Amino acid sequence: MNRIALSHEPVAVEPLLELDTHPECGGLALFVGTVRDHHEGRSVRHLKYTAHEPLAAKVIREVEHSTRERYGVPYVRIVHRLGDLAIGDIAIVCVVRAPHRAEAFAACRYAVDAVKHGAPIWKEEFYTDGSSAFVEGCCIRDDLDEPDTASHRHHSHASHG
Amino acid sequence: MKPIVFELFANLERLAGTKECRIDVDGGVATIGDALALLAQGHPELAGSLERCACVSGDTIVRRADPVPADGRIALLPPVAGG
Repeated sequence: MNRIALSHEPVAVEPLLELDTHPECGGLALFVGTVRDHHEGRSVRHLKYTAHEPLAAKVIREVEHSTRERYGVPYVRIVHRLGDLAIGDIAIVCVVRAPHRAEAFAACRYAVDAVKHGAPIWKEEFYTDGSSAFVEGCCIRDDLDEPDTASHRHHSHASHG
Repeated sequence: MKPIVFELFANLERLAGTKECRIDVDGGVATIGDALALLAQGHPELAGSLERCACVSGDTIVRRADPVPADGRIALLPPVAGG
């Protein structure tokens, strides 16, 4: 599969929708994550996404596959932007085509959450005071039994959504 | 035995001030866990962050108990925050 999962260039939404195919589908759910101008009370000027690209691309393809299987939907497509982004730029796009809206919404939400929690992508925020910081995220070790994993993941999801 | 090269990402790269850390090893290093212990000794600035890092060889997550990859390269991935 040579469809890109990671893009160093701005992401165009329209080509990802595949509106001219999937005639059996009556629902299209689209999530577009954009760069926000604040984070936990701090004013954000711009940010930078970096990734471990081989694993991040693999995780995104696995999430697309597992989402199709889990929700029985024919088309799931996710692209995550990398590099320097300005406020309002597109960070992530997730498109789901489905016969009906219920599974389209559910699958889209599941896929976005799975990428945020599992793909090795990092967000470095640059603040208006000139400082910068990496946003605290989710540990993706699979051999660590952290007692607070569940609550941590919840916190992370809520604060970065 | 050839050196082990750790590739650093995100905050780890910032803490170490470099994208790669190379450690020379003798015969006593068998597992990734062994190699991480040596890295922590040689780079105390990273020691506190290693517990929550995933280790990756190629495009695959490997575990602390696994042997050091044949190519001697281990990517250290701190907690992720995409989207």
